[in-house]
Amino acid sequence: MNIVDFLNLLVAAVLLAGVYAAMSVGMTIIYGVLKIVNLAHAGFLMLGAYFVYELYTRLHIDPLLGVLLAFPLFFFIGIALYWLLIRQIPRSDQPTLSSLLLLFGLWLVLQNLGYLVWGNADRAILTPRTFSTFEIGPIIFPTIRLVVFGVALASLAGLEFVLHKTWFGRAVRALMQNSDAGRIVGVNVERTAQVAFGIGIAFAGAAGGLLAMMYSFTPDFGGSFLLRAFVIIVLGGLESFAGVAVGALILALVETFSILVIPSGYQPAIAFSLLVLALVILPDGIAGLWKKRQLWT
Amino acid sequence: MNQNAPSSRHSISKLATSAPPLILLAILALIPLAEPGPNTIRLLFVSLVWVTASVAWNILGGFAGQVSFGFAVFFGLGAYTTAISLNAGLDRLSSLGLAAIVGAITSLLIGMPTFRLRGPYFAIATIGVSEAVRVVMTNLAVTGGASGYRITEKGAFNQHLHFYMALGLAAAAVAISMRIRYSKFGLALIAVREDEDAASDLGVNPFATKLLGHAVAAALTAAAGGVYAGYAAFVHPNGVFGFDISVAILLMPTIGGIGTIWGPVIGAVVYGLVQEELIASFPQFHLLLYGGLLILIILFEPGGVLGLLKKSFRLLRARTGIGVHT
Repeated sequence: MNIVDFLNLLVAAVLLAGVYAAMSVGMTIIYGVLKIVNLAHAGFLMLGAYFVYELYTRLHIDPLLGVLLAFPLFFFIGIALYWLLIRQIPRSDQPTLSSLLLLFGLWLVLQNLGYLVWGNADRAILTPRTFSTFEIGPIIFPTIRLVVFGVALASLAGLEFVLHKTWFGRAVRALMQNSDAGRIVGVNVERTAQVAFGIGIAFAGAAGGLLAMMYSFTPDFGGSFLLRAFVIIVLGGLESFAGVAVGALILALVETFSILVIPSGYQPAIAFSLLVLALVILPDGIAGLWKKRQLWT
Repeated sequence: MNQNAPSSRHSISKLATSAPPLILLAILALIPLAEPGPNTIRLLFVSLVWVTASVAWNILGGFAGQVSFGFAVFFGLGAYTTAISLNAGLDRLSSLGLAAIVGAITSLLIGMPTFRLRGPYFAIATIGVSEAVRVVMTNLAVTGGASGYRITEKGAFNQHLHFYMALGLAAAAVAISMRIRYSKFGLALIAVREDEDAASDLGVNPFATKLLGHAVAAALTAAAGGVYAGYAAFVHPNGVFGFDISVAILLMPTIGGIGTIWGPVIGAVVYGLVQEELIASFPQFHLLLYGGLLILIILFEPGGVLGLLKKSFRLLRARTGIGVHT
């Protein structure tokens, strides 16, 4: 492999990492605040993809605008689902049997509603942007991936702003660190949890739209990305936003460069192998490694 | 079962709990003699395979509270192991034994990295494991890859033989589940479910307990997969490792009543009898119904059918005053 190929793969990996981070961050915020693994995440990725697709094919709304519209829509879907389902199950500081089964059931419902509405034909969002590229020297940048990367980064920056500069963001971070202490200093747990769930779903929907601009999709589209999101948040230590960014980058690098050595048929098994490896080597994720270093010094 | 009963009252209650299952077993064993036709036997056979898997899942998911979304991996590996060893000339029982061993070893590979950690790691890992193994089996040339793997039948097809194997295995699964539930090991499983810290303070090793529970459940599920493969005489990665199988295996105990002995049996029978109709009339959307059912059960009756029965029983008793000591 020469240096140009290497740089091209590196660019591809970094651009992929952006959308991977956007896709996983919703799961982290929901896990952090509610201690629930959002198994229905895959369903919302899929719904986000079809939402952007329908807006584009029926109303000729640009997919980018579609992604922006997905944020508020999925936020309110999340708020409604929280009220309807999530608040009914007992709260715990660990994922419970009932929360896992409930969200798994929700995933099955969403996925198969997708089949009911859209069938199992492959869909894709094709715009003039889809196949255009531009080059800087020998390095090729696919335009669509750059655009998706930009949107992903902007949305992550927005979330970062909310988490660190607003009262709500401080409440979220307080609950993630210690929910009892948060309650004592006057955080409205129920309200914060509801909004956090809404934001998590909003990111899932929007990320689904972003992914749909890069890949073709079916109602089963979310499944493989669900596993990738798991790998990323486990690598990141489940509750750390910085960890998500690093986890996304690691997964994107491994997936991009493994094409060179592993036959493509085995590709779907890579994410899982990385998950097991992460659990064995880095059980607390990268953030845990960081914490340990801080303890030692 | 081998301890002497300490009092007559105790032995009577023991008789009362063990007699109905034995009668049920005897009735089931006599069914083929009535020649009910191959389709009925097939339906019973499938239900019994499901009973085994459902009871097995419940040992880990119900008693120890560890939700697995990937039991298809054991079902599938059991099916493949049995198919391969039957073709290699092994007899049926040894093939099933081998399948159980393969299942148990695989369960350790999944459990060792995940059970050590607190949090949702086990559930998360099980989501991916069946898919990963399915992908590998689809690409593996030795077992026929995506074309599946066929068992070469040596003798004539004997449906009754398969029925009795499924019945024997299901009975063994229920017996093991009962035995575990009232043993020290079973109490340890439940203690881990209720409060891992407290269990650990009382001398229970949560890691080893979960690992062993997983291994027992995996061995039984793999044997169920083996019995199924022996009947079908053909295994395919998308069939035996399918997502549907994992969904079915966790759905059945949930329908019947998680954490109980008879709940998973009831759930499996309901599922086994209903799903054929369902798949025939809603080929695409049975999973939609299952998902909806899962949500409704968790929200409104986490005890499943058994919990519903108990509740209505109590209600009936309160209304009529029968059996109420005042």
